[in-house]
Amino acid sequence: MEGNRLLILPVLFPVLAGILVLSLKSFRGGRSRSQGEDSGVGPAASRGEGSGTGLAASQGEGSGCGPAVSLGEGSGTGQVHGAGLLAGREVLAGVVVTALAGTLALVLAVLARGESRLFLWQLTGNTALEFGVDGVGRLFALLTSAVWLLVGLYSLVYMTHEKDEHRFFGFFLIVLGVLLALDFSANLITFYLCYEMMTLTSLPLVLHERTKEAVMAGLKYLFYSVAGAFLALFGIFFLTTVQGNLAFTPGGVPGLAEAVAANGAESLFLAAMFCMLVGFGTKAGMFPLHGWLPTAHPVAPAPASALLSGVITKCGVLAIVRVVCFVTGPDLLRGTWVQQGWIFLTLATVFMGSMLAYREPVLKKRLAYSTVSQVSYVLFGLSLLEPGAFVGALAHVVFHSLVKNALFLIAGAVIFYTGLTRVEDMRGLGRIMPVTLACHTLVSLTLVGIPPTSGFISKWYLAQGALSSGTGAWEYVGPAVLLVSALLTAGYLLPLAIDGFFPGTAAQGHGPAAGAAAVSGHGLSGAGGMDASGHGLPGADGTAASGHGLSRAGETAASGHGPAARADVLHPLMLVPVVVLTAGAVLMGCFPVPFLAVLEAIAGQVF
Amino acid sequence: MTQADWYLPGFCGMGLHLRLDGFRLVYLGIGVLMWGCSGLFSREYMAHYKRKLRYYGFFWATFVATAGVFLSADLYTTFIFFEIMSLTSYVWVAFDEKPESLEAAQTYLAVAVIGGMVMLMGLFLLSHLLGTLEIDRIPAAAAQAAAAGHQPELYAAGGLLLFGFGAKAGCFPLHIWLPKAHPVAPAPASALLSGILTKTGIFGIIVVSCGMLGGDRAWGFLVVCLGLVTMFLGALLAVFSINLKRTLACSSVSQIGFILTGIGMSCMLASAGENPSIAARGAFLHMVNHSLFKLVLFLCAGAVYMNLHRLDLNEIRGFGRRKPLLAFCFLMGALGLGGIPGWSGYVSKTLIHESIVEYGEMAGGVEVAAAAGAGGAGAGAEMAAAAGAAGTGAWGGLAGSPGFWTVAEWIFLFTGGMTVAYMLKLFFAIFVEVNQDPVRQAEYDGMSGRYMKPASTLALVVPAVLVPVMGLFPGVTMNRLADLGQGFFLAEGMEHGVHYFSLGNLKGGLVSVTIGGLVYGWVIRQWMMGKMPVAGEGASGQELSRGYLDRWPQALDLEHLLYRPVLGRLLPGIWGAVCGFVDRYVVSAPVSLFLAVSAVVCRAMDQWADGLILLARGTTHRQMRTKPREHQDRLARWLGQMMDRWLRFRLHLRGQDLPPDLLPSHVPGLVRLEQSIWRTGHLVEESFSFGLMLFCLGLCLTLGYLLLEFVRI
Repeated sequence: MEGNRLLILPVLFPVLAGILVLSLKSFRGGRSRSQGEDSGVGPAASRGEGSGTGLAASQGEGSGCGPAVSLGEGSGTGQVHGAGLLAGREVLAGVVVTALAGTLALVLAVLARGESRLFLWQLTGNTALEFGVDGVGRLFALLTSAVWLLVGLYSLVYMTHEKDEHRFFGFFLIVLGVLLALDFSANLITFYLCYEMMTLTSLPLVLHERTKEAVMAGLKYLFYSVAGAFLALFGIFFLTTVQGNLAFTPGGVPGLAEAVAANGAESLFLAAMFCMLVGFGTKAGMFPLHGWLPTAHPVAPAPASALLSGVITKCGVLAIVRVVCFVTGPDLLRGTWVQQGWIFLTLATVFMGSMLAYREPVLKKRLAYSTVSQVSYVLFGLSLLEPGAFVGALAHVVFHSLVKNALFLIAGAVIFYTGLTRVEDMRGLGRIMPVTLACHTLVSLTLVGIPPTSGFISKWYLAQGALSSGTGAWEYVGPAVLLVSALLTAGYLLPLAIDGFFPGTAAQGHGPAAGAAAVSGHGLSGAGGMDASGHGLPGADGTAASGHGLSRAGETAASGHGPAARADVLHPLMLVPVVVLTAGAVLMGCFPVPFLAVLEAIAGQVF
Repeated sequence: MTQADWYLPGFCGMGLHLRLDGFRLVYLGIGVLMWGCSGLFSREYMAHYKRKLRYYGFFWATFVATAGVFLSADLYTTFIFFEIMSLTSYVWVAFDEKPESLEAAQTYLAVAVIGGMVMLMGLFLLSHLLGTLEIDRIPAAAAQAAAAGHQPELYAAGGLLLFGFGAKAGCFPLHIWLPKAHPVAPAPASALLSGILTKTGIFGIIVVSCGMLGGDRAWGFLVVCLGLVTMFLGALLAVFSINLKRTLACSSVSQIGFILTGIGMSCMLASAGENPSIAARGAFLHMVNHSLFKLVLFLCAGAVYMNLHRLDLNEIRGFGRRKPLLAFCFLMGALGLGGIPGWSGYVSKTLIHESIVEYGEMAGGVEVAAAAGAGGAGAGAEMAAAAGAAGTGAWGGLAGSPGFWTVAEWIFLFTGGMTVAYMLKLFFAIFVEVNQDPVRQAEYDGMSGRYMKPASTLALVVPAVLVPVMGLFPGVTMNRLADLGQGFFLAEGMEHGVHYFSLGNLKGGLVSVTIGGLVYGWVIRQWMMGKMPVAGEGASGQELSRGYLDRWPQALDLEHLLYRPVLGRLLPGIWGAVCGFVDRYVVSAPVSLFLAVSAVVCRAMDQWADGLILLARGTTHRQMRTKPREHQDRLARWLGQMMDRWLRFRLHLRGQDLPPDLLPSHVPGLVRLEQSIWRTGHLVEESFSFGLMLFCLGLCLTLGYLLLEFVRI
């Protein structure tokens, strides 16, 4: 342990906190189960009656503002039977929030110290475990811990309608630690270890629901990830053989080119590189190994999908950045068949992802395909091996992460409050969650790349980079594909916004109607929906009455609470992360200069 | 010229650059006027709508964005505001949420997004090619790039930009959104959509045609052709239309065609070395005029809709009777649009017409000169050089032939005539004719005094009065405006003023009016009006009366015939199938194949040794069949019986006598034990003998080996 020991803290802290949360579960498991049976109150009921104890932020009885979600598991009835259970939920929330905020603070503290290294221990003669902070690591670490905090807050509410919260939050925190270790890795071996660890620790998030479907999806995720990692491992073996020390150096490990040439292994080197690109590209959802994304996302809980899509896919990107820009260096690849093939794969993915998203009716799956397409924007930018495109790619990492997290959180909120998963059922959503849907609209426009939002900035850099990359026909094909994909992006994201805000006069009472009926049946929609369908419309039949449930919920809210109640049904803890992410996505587009300057500094080191 | 610049560095990466100078000043002024009037008018028009906040929010957001477009001094800024404007104005179109509004809004959004993306591609190319997007620097940079042999890329960038801006302007074949969006949007919003939002597209086309590719003959010719087609088709659609706002929307398409023609002529004149100012001034003034006319006309339409909630000509027929103020305003707009001398539209149309005639004459001069085999003088020589440079193909030939320009002039005049005709149709239908349904007519007449509030009246009268004022005093009004605006077209001042009311110029106007009268009298009144059942409360439904028929073939709709099938079904269908196939099978099929094959192979590898042994046991190493010896259980039986007896004896001692068959016997268990001991022993025996055999084999081999070694040594 030599160097800046502070560096280990952001890694250890969330992992320990996660283990603590997991053990909390075993400590409380038996009691909470018996408590549930004793009181005979299902989660739905407890949510309906929750009356603002402790962290509970329920909106009280007769509020008519949709589901009243109490953070404390205990509710009116729960209280009678024991405060211990209530405390359990609070302790969990407290630990999680403390861990997340603490990690963010630790990361900031580490980053404030500038570039530093921490040598952990020597594995073999020339491979060591080592942490270090550099520009890229800093970017990813900050992004990861900030997004984690936001998603964590959201999950505190969202996970009330899932089982096994302790398991979820435990692994949630552990993955954060592993990801920070990944971001701080200073050589390829350390990186690879953390990379595999990330796959394994994030698996429980995917198969959280433990349905057959979820388990199969989890297995698919595991197989694809492991297959990809092994492909990459081949490349790592090769590189380690050629040049023992693979410490990350901007612009490539010195002496690698000479070593490759001395071994006369240029073609093997290129093959190994291609394997690494495809292998690490698996995590980033690059064709041909993108298949896990659309399977894993719809079954995972929404916060988990958000993180998978927004952050964990980016770790594949980070891996490729590390390999291409910090180990081999861009010069060794420029103009080779590997670059050509890589560009082709990324562009094929970009187009294919958005095309399939355009034709996909299930919202979360649509967003998963969208991720396939958008992360390949980033890979396309990297594959050009050009500073401008590199800046665009890194910028898109951040922008897409913000946007996709927001989109998945919104999709989750829709599921949470209405139970709807298909886009065509979501007509008229603007009536009950106007702020959320406005956020959806803004982040959709960001993803399409409408100025002045941030997606436009990254696209501008990517296209300008492509045009001056000297890659022949790709110079023109690339931007064209990006724009066609942007068009499709508009095609698959905007309909939700449009139908949400402009449900049409003829179509009212359809759409979320069905959802509302289903929802109030489940007792998920809470007070507002119930009241509305309870009042009903005179003379209307059952379907019509409950059909107006969803829209009436908003209206009841409006009339019941005066001016303030035109607000969203979303719980503040769910709404705030969404709004923050949206604001980030938009404002970073308006005032990107400081951020771009950082990225350009990184690009200046690499190229 | 004084100008004011305003930078916001770093916004969106490259910074905003706004500027206030002649052209921009005029258009900012027009924007303020239009938004002011429409806003004032909206107060009454929107009074009964819900969601007013949404309307006004997006109303003013669009104002800011539109002003941003017109003030922008580089194309990057233009694009940013342009996109914001496209999206905020979407809300206007979708505002009513009726099915047709939503469909129109869909079309509007699709055109806007596709146009925006194509434009962005053009900007990518242009920025890469020129290194700057500052509007001022584009001409010089473009000339440099062209000199360096990048002309094809310049054309590509220009084409993409033209597509993008043309989509917003409503240029053929991307005009489809206009006739759909305008009738469904609230009338004040339609006035803005038509009057000024389309002009943002024109703004970009001016930058491309007069700045970037200024003086490029082929480009100018392309723009002129697009302009002519657009103007003619728009007017044709307008003549056929029987919906008030749709007619006005089609008329917008047509007028945009006039403006495009002016821009194209300016480009052509510049390419011939002439001063393009006559065309440039014409185009600019027509932009200004059209903004005013459409403001007036759409607000009139708004006044009709506000009272009747109908737009069909047959239904609103006769509404304007006994409403002189409305009639006056409408008439001002109509006469202006029709290009009647004395109203402002005449001035701008005359200028554009003049430019066509002028270029046609020059082309004729070149023809003569070429035929004579002698170099023409002055302009003719330059024209010949230009013609030679622009290419030898049919393209250059057509642009140089005087015949083409004669045709162009006649298209221009005839379209002017159709403009007069459709405005006559509207005016007669609303203000002169009586409704077929007398009850309804009485109702309409009863509205005379209270159909519009004073504020709305003010909003309508102000722009309406401007039209004749500008038309009657072009020297002090329109020429000044043109002086301000022409710099943007890179045109210099005119050497000589145009006498708008000279006989030669009046002739063009009169020809158009005559054509208009003829078209109205023959085509509209004879062919497009016919007997039709009378609708309304006062009619039995059986009566027939002369009304306006929709004679336009429904099938002839570019959008439903071409765009929607191709973009909505064909392309996504094909590519979706391809991508779906790739997604589903390209990875999984090889993987499943590999798994299936390797499962078979591995199973075989797993079991080959077992198989070998089985084979050996079946053939060479068949086992001796040994039966378990019978009566090998004597010991067990004896021992068991002894134990049974002992047990019974113990029970007997305790006084519990039970019949023997109820007591458990130890015999069977002991028998099983003895048998298994025997079997195991037998197995050990056999295995031992097998092992012994193998050992022997090994011993033999070792001996053989030793022997061999011994012999070799």
